[in-house]
This record gives sequence, C-alpha cells and structure tokens, in this order.
Amino acid sequence: MTPKNYFILILIIATITVIGCTDKNGESENANKNVTENKSIPKQTSNSNTDDSQQDKPFGDIIFEGSIGDASNLIPILSTDSVSHQIASHIYNGLLKYDKNLKLTGDLAKSWELSNDKKSITFHLKKGVKWHDGKIFNADDVKFTYETIIDDSTPTAYDSDFRIIDNITIIDDYTIRVNYQKPFAPALNSWTMSILPKHLLENVKITESSLQRNPIGTGSYEFVKWNPGESITLKANKSYFDGRPNIAKYVLKIIPDSTTMFMELLKGNLDFMSLTPLQYSKQTNTPKFKDNFEKYTYLSNSYSYIGYNLRNELFKDKRVRQALTYATPKEKIIESVLFGEGHVATGPYKPDSFWYNPDVKRYEYNLEKAKELLTEAGWEDSDNNGYLDKNGREFSFTLMTNQGNSNRAKIAEIVQENWKKLGIKVKIRIMEWATLINEYIDKRNFDALVMGWSIPLEPDLYDVWHSSKCSGKNLNFICYENDELDKIIEKARLTFDQDKRRKLYYKAQEILAEDQPYTFLYVPNALVALHKRFKGVEPAPAGLMYNFEDWYVPENLRKYSLTQ
Amino acid sequence: MVKNNFLKRINKYILMYLGLAIVFFFILIAIFAPFIATHNPTDINLANVLAEPSKTHFFGTDELGRDVFSRVIYGTRISIFVGFVAVGISVIIGLFFGLVSGYFGGLVDTLIMRFVDIMLCFPAFFLILAVITFLEPSVTNVMVVIGLTSWMGVTRLVRAETLSIKTRDFVTAAKLQNISNVKILVKHILPNVITPVFVAATLGVAGAILTESALSFLGLGVQPPTPSWGNILTAGKDNITFAWWLSVFPGLAIFITVLGYNLLGEGLRDLLDPKISKK
Repeated sequence: MTPKNYFILILIIATITVIGCTDKNGESENANKNVTENKSIPKQTSNSNTDDSQQDKPFGDIIFEGSIGDASNLIPILSTDSVSHQIASHIYNGLLKYDKNLKLTGDLAKSWELSNDKKSITFHLKKGVKWHDGKIFNADDVKFTYETIIDDSTPTAYDSDFRIIDNITIIDDYTIRVNYQKPFAPALNSWTMSILPKHLLENVKITESSLQRNPIGTGSYEFVKWNPGESITLKANKSYFDGRPNIAKYVLKIIPDSTTMFMELLKGNLDFMSLTPLQYSKQTNTPKFKDNFEKYTYLSNSYSYIGYNLRNELFKDKRVRQALTYATPKEKIIESVLFGEGHVATGPYKPDSFWYNPDVKRYEYNLEKAKELLTEAGWEDSDNNGYLDKNGREFSFTLMTNQGNSNRAKIAEIVQENWKKLGIKVKIRIMEWATLINEYIDKRNFDALVMGWSIPLEPDLYDVWHSSKCSGKNLNFICYENDELDKIIEKARLTFDQDKRRKLYYKAQEILAEDQPYTFLYVPNALVALHKRFKGVEPAPAGLMYNFEDWYVPENLRKYSLTQ
Repeated sequence: MVKNNFLKRINKYILMYLGLAIVFFFILIAIFAPFIATHNPTDINLANVLAEPSKTHFFGTDELGRDVFSRVIYGTRISIFVGFVAVGISVIIGLFFGLVSGYFGGLVDTLIMRFVDIMLCFPAFFLILAVITFLEPSVTNVMVVIGLTSWMGVTRLVRAETLSIKTRDFVTAAKLQNISNVKILVKHILPNVITPVFVAATLGVAGAILTESALSFLGLGVQPPTPSWGNILTAGKDNITFAWWLSVFPGLAIFITVLGYNLLGEGLRDLLDPKISKK
C-alpha cells in the first residue's frame, strides 16, 4: 500500500479506536470532580466511583498487544504506516470520529453545521479539553494543524483533502469555520485527522520536533515509553474529557513473526493479537486456548486484487481481462488461502457497507467462457506450443507481488496454474516491498500485480480510479481511464445527499465490474484473539477497538496490579 | 598403537564411503525424479491443503495441496544442479587466477591476490543477497552469483601449489625447451595442482546447496512454482506448529545431502593428504 492508502487505513483505525462515550461528556466531568474532591480519602473515592454509573468499572490491569511492525513516527501527519497511526489513535483526537456503526460523530467537536451553499463547515469545539501537559485545547490548535499540513515544508501524504480549503476563520476560542472552494463531500471525513498541539510545535520545524518520539495529545492514553523494535507503552489519561479509560496501561509489543507472536500469546505474554487464518481455524481449538482466550471475527477494511497494467497491449482488450477473471477461482482461493475466512469481492467496497452494490456482474469460475472470450479477442495457439499467441506475440507476462505476504504468493501460484490452462504463460516474481514500489509500481514498469487496498470509510474513488491519477506516483498505477467513471466520481464528490451519492457509486461499481481493470479477489475477515479477562468488548461494524476506553477487567480476574 | 591407527583409518574410509553413497543416492534421485515422484510437483489441489503424510502423499501436502514427496524429489534436481554448476564456475575461475598468479608472480600475483583479499572481505551471503536483489532472482542467477563469490579459496589453494610445482626440475626443463607458458601451465602444472581442488570442490558443493536453500527460503532463489528444498521450507516456517512435515522432510533432505558431501570431501582430504596417510 502506498502512503495515501495507509493513511486511509489508519484513519479508520484511528477513528474507530478513539470512540468513547460522547454524549456522557457532562457526566464524566462530574465524575472527575468527585475523584479530585475525594483525593485524600482513597476509600471514599472508590465508593463514589461505584455509586456513579459511569465509573463503576474497575480501573487497573495492563493489556499487551502484539504487533508485527514497529511505529515510525508518532506525529500522525508525518507517518504512513499503520502501527504509528494505531498508537497515535490512542494519543490524539480528531474533530470528528466514526461511531460503532461507522457514522460520523463529534470527537473534539461537540457539533458542526454545513452552510446552505455546502461550501463551509462550522465546528463547535468541546470546552475543557486539555493536552497531556495540562494546556487547554482550543480553535488555534485546529487552525495550526491545518496550516502545518498544507505547509510545503511538511512531508505529509495527507495534504490533498486540505489543499482545497479556501480559508479557515476562528470565530471564537471554541468555534471555527472552514471554507471550501467548492462543495466537497469527503470534507467531513478529512476532519477525523489528529489535531496537533500548537504550543509545542509552533516554533520548531515539525520534522525536528521531539513530539515525533514523545507525543503529547488530547487522547485517552498518554505516552510513556518507546523502546524501538521492542515495545511502546501508554498509560491511561485520568483527566480525559470523555472519562478516563478503565485499563491502566497499554503496551504494544513488537514481534516481527506471527508464529513467534502466537507462541507468546499461548505463553501468556500477550493478551491481544491478530491471528492468521491458519491459526484461527486450526490452532485455537485446544481447551487451554478456549479457557483463556476469546476469538473474534469481522469483515476487515481491505480487499485483495490482481491489477493489470492497462498500458500493456496484452490487457487493453476488456474481454481478455474478463477471461482472466473467469479463470480465477475466487471461492477456492478463499477456501484454501484464508481457510474460508473471507468474502468474494466484486468491487472496491466491503460487502456489508452502505455503498456496496450487490447486483453487479459476478464472474463465477468458468474456463470454457474464458477460452471463448480469448478466442473472440483474437488469441489462438497458432504454433501449437501450448501457449496462445496473436500477431506473433505470445501471451506471457510477469505477475508481481511483495515479499512477506504468503497469501499473495499463494494467490499468484494458484492463478498461474489456472491461467496456464487457458494457454497463458505467467512468470511469478516476488520482491521486496520498497523495490516493488519504487522500481516497478511508481515507474509503471509491471505487467500485473497481486496487491491489496484498504477500504476507507469515506467512499470517494478519486485517488485510485480517476484517470487524472494515472501519472507520476499516483495511485491509479494500472492507468485505468474511463470518461464515464471519471464523471461519476467527480459528481459524487459534490453530492452530500447519501442516497444520491450511493446511486452514483452503484453505477461506478457496475462499470468496474464490466471492465475488470482489476480482478477483485476477496475481502478477508479480521481475526483476533483477546484474553478473556477483558470485558465490555462488543464487536460492531466498526470492528473491535472502537470502544477500547470502555473495556475493563473485573477485580477478581486482574492479572497485573499497579503500584503507583 | 598400530592397530588403533588402523581402526581410525578404516573408520574414516567408512565415513567417506557413506558420504559417497549419499551423494550417489541423491544424484540417482535427481536423474530418475520423474519415475520416483508420485505426483506432478506443481499440480495444485485446493481441496486437499496441508494434508498429513499418508499412503497417497508420503510426505503430506503443502499449503496449495501439492505433494511434498514429489516436490522434495524434484527439489533434489535443483539443489544438485545448482551445486555443481556453481562450483564448476568457482573452480574454473579459481584455477585460472590461481595458476596465473602462482606461475607468473610479480605484479600480476600481487594484483590478483589483493583482489582475492578484497573479495574475501565481503560477507559472502550478504553480497549474494544484494546482487540477487538487483538482478532478477532465478536459478541461473543464483548459480552464477554463488559461483562468482566462492572462487577465492580455490585461487589461494592453486596458487600455493603452483608456487611449489613451478620450481621443480621438470618445469625448468620444459622452460628450457622453449615450450610456451600456456602449454606448461595446462600440461605440466595443472595436473599436479588439481587434486586438492577436488577436495575443495566437493566441500564447495555442500556450501552451494546450503546457500541456494537459504536464498530460496528467503524468496530470492528458485521462483515458484518450481520446487526447491528452500522454498518448501518457507511454507514450513509459516506452519511450523501445525504442519511439521513441511519443515522436517526438506530439512532432512538438505541435512543429509550436505552431510554426504562433507563426509566425502573430508574423507578425500585425509586420503590425499600425505601427512596423514604416512602415519
């Protein structure tokens, strides 16, 4: 995934993790008051906590989560990897966030209004929000964040949504108006971006700021320690504006290999990790595992696909691409690669989302049909060598993917074998991630790719599918150009009405299904294991982590006790 | 005491013959792979993924339902082929530089030996990794790169032998008869320096097989769907707690083959070493 794409993924994670209990803001302020008033008499503190409906959950314990990779930079506008953004989502807040049903709701903003011409948004900010260092958050921080993102000296991948802002005016300390050059439907989504502290960043160059390694935000957890390549430790922010989280510490342990990580989980050194399909379906059925861990599964926000470089003569005819899709056994791939833990993808949206069109052309596995289409397109085995040819050119190409994702390598081998049955010679090349991106994808120097995209909550298709994104290092690297789709995408960006917007995206999905610039493969399930002592976990369309602040460990199950 | 020594020597030869037997055994497997294999090693069967060893699949099946037994058998071909070609390349280069360097001496010798020193400074495996990443990973590239990074030992060996041989009377006699240097090198010196090269080459094959397996394991060697012991092991690593057969069988194949070449090589060295055989 490219930076932009990570951003999208991260935004999702960021927004779903920070979700607390917005409506109960007033109550939690009261609760905080109670705590401070009773500070000298600890026993009563706990009493008053149990009386209060908000604070009846016990505070304490530590959660250890396993992660394959380390974070790179904890100022989220500067980093593009998912781990950095996962950590940042606990430390920072955006103006808005997605709730458990993936609807936008206020985070640092109490409420917002859209002007009649749909060109400006007014945010009313929450009062009494404090940065971890005790300073008060206000509208200046929001404007500062915007100015930093669009500053040319800031190396950020997320500036495009902010560059179309005309200006931002601070009306008072807690009211801010954003004026756009023209109506822009994805605008609200962009305000889920983390807000940065002005008082700590205004006089330093952001790339030299110490906040990159010692972040200070407004979020539910405060940064404690980062041992590179080992672990990142956070502690609960007791004065969080949405009420303090119940789990006292959060530790992300970095273990670069999923087999090792799984062993650590079984040993009890981890509480929470993503499972591979094999681990999920075959290795978690022992009584010991079931006694200690709970498994969760939900549709993940990503899909896998095979993308064809449309500048290559081989793939210019849509019948050829349709034939390749017909000869791709999607169901069997899900069955063998994911052990059944996934859904067939037919387009760029999740099957359970509002935007998903269930009635597009589906390509059930059919080799006969594929052969017919190839013959129609003029491909025949005229020299009887077992491979198709046309005008003296043999149908052979290289299918590339990145190292370190064994699923993609397996997919490549499966389609290689199936396409061989059509008379197509496929060479597989698996290479290191940076090489693949810099030397092949960015230079548009490839035939076909097995890759994946994260699926953003904001349905805009512009970055990946609009023809203007074909050049340079943009994300439409297969160079799909379709005037009709371009117009739909542009129109959808100006359409705020959800139902009307959905109709446009329905049409877009039909076009993509007919043209098959990608062979859409599957949307995998997210599979996680979590220790049973954690309660209050409620899987929802937003996943699992959206209400992390509400998780708690009953006192009799507590594993770690903290001395302060 | 004499008896004891005798026993020791017998033991060494037994081990050497064991090595020889292993080497021949695997060469035979490589040659007759199509007759030994029970399945096509690249046939995918998604309905029978990660099956345990059974009567139909002696070594079980891998993540794509391919027969591991047949893959290990065909993997032998790749390993042995890579081993021989890579060593062939390194021996040819090593012989050439060693002979030239030892025979002519002087500036040529200094240049070549310093170049050898430079080459020896690179950690070979990482050099290979870097080069393969630049080039496209393929069997050919792996063989050539292993060959090009492992000739230094042979060069030094040949140079040392050449230095001692070139002072012998028969070389002097040949020189006095005005026989060309090339002819002296090929006809008189080469046959006398080749024996220790055999030992080095046998041990070199073991090293090359290990390197190829390691590269394939990392995905930089033999590319799918061609089976090699290294890339079967890659799948084994992902499933090590569940599908032991994916790690054990190719692992054993590598272990036994490398052991075979090492035993043979060590045995040959002892046999050919006058210091040991005189005792």
